Amino acid sequence: MRTGVFHETFVAEERLWDSTTTQRWMLAFTLALFTLPVWGTDYMLAMACIVGIHVIATLGLNITTGNAGLISLSHGAFLGVGCYTVAWLAKHGVPFYLTLPAAGFVTAALGVIVGLPSLRVKGLYLAIATLAAHFILTFVFREWEAVTGGVPGTSIPRASLFGFEVGGDRRVFYLIFACAFAMAVAARNLGRTYVGRAFVAVRDRDISAEILGVNLLRTKLLAFAIGAFYAGVAGGLLGYFYGAITPEYFVLTLSVFYLAAVIVGGLGSVLGSILGALFMTLLPELLRLAAHASSQWFPAVAGLLLPMQQVVFGLLIIVFLVLEPHGLAAIWARIRRTFHLWPFRT
Amino acid sequence: MANLVRRKLVQSLGAAASLGPFAIGRSYGQAHKGDIVIGASQPITGIFSFAGVAMNNGLHDFVQWKNAKGGVMGRKLRYVSEDSGFKLDQGVAIFKKIMAADKPSFFYGESTQWVKAITKDAVASNSIMTSSTSLASVVADPANLPQHIVPGPTYPRLHEILMEYIARTSRGSAKPNIAYVYADTEFGRDGIPGGKARAEKLGLPIVAEIVTKQAGIDVAPEVAKLRRAKPDIVIFQGYILAPMPEFVRQMQEAGLNPQIMGTAWGLDRPAYEALGKLGVRLTGVSMYRYGHETDSPMINEMREYLAKARPEQKNIPPFYITSWLSGMIFAEIAERCIKANKPLQLPHMKAALESMKEWDSGGITGLLVDLSQHDIPVGRIYTYDPGKGTMEPASSWIKV
Repeated sequence: MRTGVFHETFVAEERLWDSTTTQRWMLAFTLALFTLPVWGTDYMLAMACIVGIHVIATLGLNITTGNAGLISLSHGAFLGVGCYTVAWLAKHGVPFYLTLPAAGFVTAALGVIVGLPSLRVKGLYLAIATLAAHFILTFVFREWEAVTGGVPGTSIPRASLFGFEVGGDRRVFYLIFACAFAMAVAARNLGRTYVGRAFVAVRDRDISAEILGVNLLRTKLLAFAIGAFYAGVAGGLLGYFYGAITPEYFVLTLSVFYLAAVIVGGLGSVLGSILGALFMTLLPELLRLAAHASSQWFPAVAGLLLPMQQVVFGLLIIVFLVLEPHGLAAIWARIRRTFHLWPFRT
Repeated sequence: MANLVRRKLVQSLGAAASLGPFAIGRSYGQAHKGDIVIGASQPITGIFSFAGVAMNNGLHDFVQWKNAKGGVMGRKLRYVSEDSGFKLDQGVAIFKKIMAADKPSFFYGESTQWVKAITKDAVASNSIMTSSTSLASVVADPANLPQHIVPGPTYPRLHEILMEYIARTSRGSAKPNIAYVYADTEFGRDGIPGGKARAEKLGLPIVAEIVTKQAGIDVAPEVAKLRRAKPDIVIFQGYILAPMPEFVRQMQEAGLNPQIMGTAWGLDRPAYEALGKLGVRLTGVSMYRYGHETDSPMINEMREYLAKARPEQKNIPPFYITSWLSGMIFAEIAERCIKANKPLQLPHMKAALESMKEWDSGGITGLLVDLSQHDIPVGRIYTYDPGKGTMEPASSWIKV
């Protein structure tokens, strides 16, 4: 039974996972994911790729909204910026290890511009400002035919590494897996740096943070930039995964999806981002499985379960905000605590 | 000891939790050997559900009907569909799921972006042909999408047919002024350049071009633009119903009474009935006969089947007909491959499709169908008849 973590060295304190048990679980999980293309079906791989992309995007939004407290409804559009950047660069022969960071930086630059209203307004007003940015960007996606292909969309050439084509779900999975892993570790580390702490300080009370010496301008814009960077990379990976994209993918409900994932997973938590993205992506699949399984015995129930998906998303946000505002991450932490302190009650 | 038990319990729970959702599977492939499987990703819920339900029913009913007639050369068809909610992520996941579990030879999807997203995997599998409800010109591309079938003319072709009809009916008199009102979506935009190009070729003036959102449109300023342009014909594109009635109402209030025209999905019963109540005879190009027409053997079969299987359904929407027709094309491809003793692989199925140059669709489309270019470039003009309350033919079948 673990009663606490007692670090004896600074090196031990700086470790990301502070116990041998956690490290072993992480290793097992990483190995299982790494070998998924070997033992998983095409469907599992496709879902894993989609989950990976959503994890990266949710991590980004959690940095902006969860850590820094800046609401952004333009996250879906940022994905589009990243996707179209990758598409344009890839068509000009730029390899994926340059297109993905480029997509991130281009989107980050745009994120800085979109984040400018955060210096003046907060909360609902900031949300409206980012909503305006969303509509501007989606208009550009539809109209700037030279780059985006307009309404019919554009195709994205397959990634290749020194002549070796990274095509098909089994290969793209490793690209997505590597990016998601690296960016999750980066997000976790960010929270332990001055920048991460500045985000939290700004979220909790920006005036006090300013008095303490936190540069509000730099911090808020950096929060938007980093969140947008993550979205840009996720968008680029989305393009490589699907191979073709149209502006219809980057709708407002995509931004709401990520916001819901952040809330359901847990604001300000890396694990929450992962759990939230996983939950929100797999929920429609689970509902569909349940509808299919029940259709054989209870056809009426199946008929109700299918449209419920639309209702469930909204209900989830409300339920989590009311009953568990800290999200799935807090639920997981409680489960872990129960096992750590077993047989003693928490 | 207790620690050991707890650790084992946690490990086994963790393993079960990670594998559980993926352990639910189906083994239909084993039980139904020899079946020709048609998979489908249908938007049964979501924003496109009004069409998705009809498309799902159409393909499902065709499979039942065909199996009752003996299947394809004695082999039964099997239909496997799931709800995508008109979301690309789910649509692609469903495609991969059904491909892995049921090994379909044919797949029916719902949108242009779905077609584009699954094309690489479909071609790589070398074992599947696809179709969808999308009539976008980008998917009628046998070179880049060799596996895809468009069960009708593309949107540009529909507008070319419409312009041909307008030109033919206005011979000898002044050319009518035409205004375009279309939604800022692919459904709305795709056909416009083709229509404008054909109009220019035929000397038909386009006096206004109004682009609106898909929904929640402020109609008044757009009607003001139309009032200034004074069109004789207003062509709506990209709408199923709204905002056409509101446009017509406000145009009538403004003293405008142009002829209202549309294409394909915008000529369904909700549209022509709503406009009929406003005294407007909606005219447009449809790629299929309507469900009430009696001079098509296949439409009659559809009606008889529906009367028994779905007696509550009084109308046969075009979405139902398009998926039924897609099923017919799939069955014909399978039959041609089986007769030629070729396996159901992409090169053979593509060759079978392209050999369908004078294929009888049972009268669903008026002319013998030429699918060599993977689409059906034929349509007919229909006009609303207020006496009968239905759309009636106003031209012969036009091929472009």
